[in-house]
Amino acid sequence: MAKAIPRIGSRRNGRIGSRKSARRIPKGVIHVQASFNNTIVTVTDVRGRVVSWSSVGTCGFKGTRRGTPFAAQTAAANAIRTVVDQGMQRVEVMIKSLGLGRDAALRAIHEVVYY
Amino acid sequence: MAASSIPSLFSFFTPSKPPSAPTKAQPCHLTISSSATTTKNGWTPLVSSSNEIQPNTLSLSSSCSSDVMSVVCPSFVHANTLFFRSAYNVQVIVDENEPEEKLLGRFRREVMRAGVIQECKRRRFFENKQDEKKRKTREAAKRNRRRRPQARNFTQDRQETTKNKKEEEEDNWDLPEGNIPY
Repeated sequence: MAKAIPRIGSRRNGRIGSRKSARRIPKGVIHVQASFNNTIVTVTDVRGRVVSWSSVGTCGFKGTRRGTPFAAQTAAANAIRTVVDQGMQRVEVMIKSLGLGRDAALRAIHEVVYY
Repeated sequence: MAASSIPSLFSFFTPSKPPSAPTKAQPCHLTISSSATTTKNGWTPLVSSSNEIQPNTLSLSSSCSSDVMSVVCPSFVHANTLFFRSAYNVQVIVDENEPEEKLLGRFRREVMRAGVIQECKRRRFFENKQDEKKRKTREAAKRNRRRRPQARNFTQDRQETTKNKKEEEEDNWDLPEGNIPY
């Protein structure tokens, strides 16, 4: 179910969205939800349509280790890996919730971006 | 340059137009927004954009007001729109080649100033009316304690001097004239 963004276009444009799977996004947003037991990193475009996501659980951590900052670091790195080739020039990072993964994810993103 | 940036800034606030990417090719640019949400309630939007930076989106409490990073630069014209529209409280704009530790320190400091962490802790568990009252009085005391001492000194001195003069005139050390009843 695609994100419902109201459009006033003609009906011909309805189906084009699904074809642009490898769309180039110069500007994006990285949402980091850093709760106490997990950290979820989602990469979207500026309007909020998700490009890719990754979480600590999908990176193979389980149980108490999901809340650690190192795990958040790996999750962030994983999430960005898919988007790095798409030529993103500007990224906005939005961090939600109190958790140990806040700083760690930020640091990981910074590392990937600048090195 | 500044003049050209202003109309483009206004154009971002019209919801119908999607924000256009900056025409200059810039190296990767990071802006970071932080929100405070409790794990229980999910996301409660806090303050909306009041000042230039930071709408407090994340927190709902009025005590968390967002401070805006006063970075105004034509290249960052496009950077704030997301922040303004969303419910995030703190915004930190990253300069080029900023060392990691410095960035993190700045981020943490801004978050602390916005009171996001306090607010989160408070919202984790239920707080009955008693505790809420206690907390509010404590916060009010803290807020007033910082501002009052300076203002008080000035006004008090003036009051004291005028009072002293008045008292000297009205002092009743002498016995009243006339016959005393006893």
